[in-house]
Amino acid sequence: MIETLAPPLANDAIETVLRNELAQGDAMIGSITPILRHLLSSEDHSVFSDEIVARVRGSASDLSRQLLVEVAQDRGSEPGREPEPAALDALTHELIAAPAVLAHLHSCALEWQLTQRLHARLSLDPVLSPLLQALIASSDAPTAGLAMNLLAAQSRFVQNQRRMRLPLGELPGDLLHTVLVAMRALAEDDAAAETAEAAVRGRYDEGSSRLGLMARLITGMGGGAVAALAVTHAGVALFVSALGLASGQDRDLAILSTNDGQLARLALALRAAGLKPAGVEEQFVALHPEIALPDGIEALGSDRAAAILSLAGAYTGA
Amino acid sequence: MTSGAASVAAILARATSDGDDRLIQAEEPIAGLQLRCGGDLPGTIAIPALLETVRKARRYGLRLARAITAQDGTEAVTAWIEVEPDDDGEGCAIVLRHWQAAPLPAEDLAAAALDRAETDRELAEITALLDAEQRLLTVEGDSYDTDPALAAMRGGVGRHWTEFVTIDGGQHHQPMHWRLLDGSRLSIPGSVRHWRATLLPQVQPGSEPTGFELCLVADEPAPSPRPPVAPERAAALAPLVGREIAPVLRQPIARIIANAETIRTRLAGPLTEEYSAYAADIAAAGQHLLALIDDLADLEVVEAADFVTAPDPIDLGDVSRRAAGILGVRARERQITVVAPQPGETLHATGEFRRVLQILLNLVGNAIRYSPEGSQVWLRLENGDAPGDDEGPARIVVADQGPGLSAEAQARLFGKFERLGRSGDGGSGLGLYISRRLARAMGGDLTVESAPGQGARFILDLPR
Repeated sequence: MIETLAPPLANDAIETVLRNELAQGDAMIGSITPILRHLLSSEDHSVFSDEIVARVRGSASDLSRQLLVEVAQDRGSEPGREPEPAALDALTHELIAAPAVLAHLHSCALEWQLTQRLHARLSLDPVLSPLLQALIASSDAPTAGLAMNLLAAQSRFVQNQRRMRLPLGELPGDLLHTVLVAMRALAEDDAAAETAEAAVRGRYDEGSSRLGLMARLITGMGGGAVAALAVTHAGVALFVSALGLASGQDRDLAILSTNDGQLARLALALRAAGLKPAGVEEQFVALHPEIALPDGIEALGSDRAAAILSLAGAYTGA
Repeated sequence: MTSGAASVAAILARATSDGDDRLIQAEEPIAGLQLRCGGDLPGTIAIPALLETVRKARRYGLRLARAITAQDGTEAVTAWIEVEPDDDGEGCAIVLRHWQAAPLPAEDLAAAALDRAETDRELAEITALLDAEQRLLTVEGDSYDTDPALAAMRGGVGRHWTEFVTIDGGQHHQPMHWRLLDGSRLSIPGSVRHWRATLLPQVQPGSEPTGFELCLVADEPAPSPRPPVAPERAAALAPLVGREIAPVLRQPIARIIANAETIRTRLAGPLTEEYSAYAADIAAAGQHLLALIDDLADLEVVEAADFVTAPDPIDLGDVSRRAAGILGVRARERQITVVAPQPGETLHATGEFRRVLQILLNLVGNAIRYSPEGSQVWLRLENGDAPGDDEGPARIVVADQGPGLSAEAQARLFGKFERLGRSGDGGSGLGLYISRRLARAMGGDLTVESAPGQGARFILDLPR
């Protein structure tokens, strides 16, 4: 972008700019090899597949679009008008720069990928799993109501993933805050942006988001939540929510652990969640039919598994 | 089965927090968990996961809903909470919708044993290395009350360690197996505390221990090097002023005095004479208040049932000279001479130094306050009832040339809040009452001899 620097700069200013550009370039060169090595050597391309990358970029762009539309409406522009591409790119760039947001978008895409895969292989419905069906039929009215809400939220999620969309209200609270802070940083004391931000915050209700509904249903099941630890019974969405809650991991990390390269994390998380060795094996059969569990895993206590997990580095850095 | 069903799900409890994330009000079971987690109500939220969620909700200005887990020592609690920040971001409304409590999973026994060993190593006040027969090799320790036992153990290297302590529940004659001794309760000569032994074997796999690490851990912290000086803290229940109010009041009053002094001395700029005089009044009133608080705190201490003083050997000559030195400035302001015992004059007595000093400061301070300008106050050491008598009590006499006291006034003098009709001179009427209580607590007494127009002699007797 050196050519865009129209006004001539003093010598040392030029040097500073060049040094900064060079440092950025070096950082890029430094990251080429590990990424390329991973792409070439990994048998499993799902984590970085073109589809996943496209979904992450699409969802980030969709978040930006919603924010900018919100601001534009506060400025009085007519509804339905799409934001300026330049502003959209700038905000999207800002969102992707936030590691926690990027990790969440990535894990949403992975969750959807796994949902599709199990739908193809096991005919597991992406929206209505046997567990959700049972919850909807629950004699406990509040539980049944929550389950109905989840059914609606899950079908919205499926629809949105197909269109590479992610509504602001579906973000976890911490991430929504990060996103709004990123927007604020770009808006620079724009009154309309402030009003828009206040409106988004006011509308937000974590408990009625898809992730919130699932967490609440699983929490409400108490000891019965172990039923959600069977992916073929609970469906991917409830399964990873339950796995995250029961093993004390972030849900995004639980999703990542279903990936082919994360067998150890999955085994440990299932064990830490309190699943018996036979149950762990069942989940492996469903998720990784080609993998045999190592002998001796049944000797690993669930508290030891939790301890090993807690010592491992966290993915999102959140 | 409407979409609104979610919002009618049973609310188990509500709570509210304020802008400092303190729990203002809470229903059960939130209230109970808060208390079991070590918090107060009202008080800062003590449930870590709840505190985190409330903080985030307040900072983000977002309605958050999360599953939280907490432990209260016996149970692991999983709960679903919804937190809604106020419009002004000053506090949060907390709603609890699910609550499950399960007993904490049992600890891994092997891991717990390792933890215990580490803890005992950290806490042990006496550690020793033993050979395979549990005979002492080396001993380390540094607590005040274990010095005699340590010395004995150091001198007894090669002997069985149980010879130097008393194992609770009877001594067995033949050396006991280490597993029986591990964890046993015991007492150590010279220490009033309760002790526990931990034996950590040095094991070669497949064979008997080749030696042991012995850790002696006390249940209570080590006592301070002296017997309790004045157990102000022991009088825990009734006293309000000394423990609760005095520390709180002292600081603001000291500020008032300091600022009034600043105004009085015109440090911050020129000021008319009247305002400077007002400031002087404020400072004087503040000092009076401070003295009153100190008196009330002292009163509580001396009136506590368990009030004791330390029986230290002290030199009354030294105490007298110090009291005279401390009050010298005040005496010179009124052209009064305080005549203290000559350096080198000594009189030994048994009492607590700072308490005797407190009594003397009170007596000399009174003498300065109520004696005419230009007069003298004497501090005299007297050897018992008759000069040269070494049997009677040690005695200090504080004599002044003041107006003297009638027999009726002498009878009332040592009463609580007794002002003898005076007012407005900065006294609380507690000084002599406290002084006499202190003197009696040390096994002595405080009396007065006087007649109107003849001055007064206050006599402090202390045991030898």
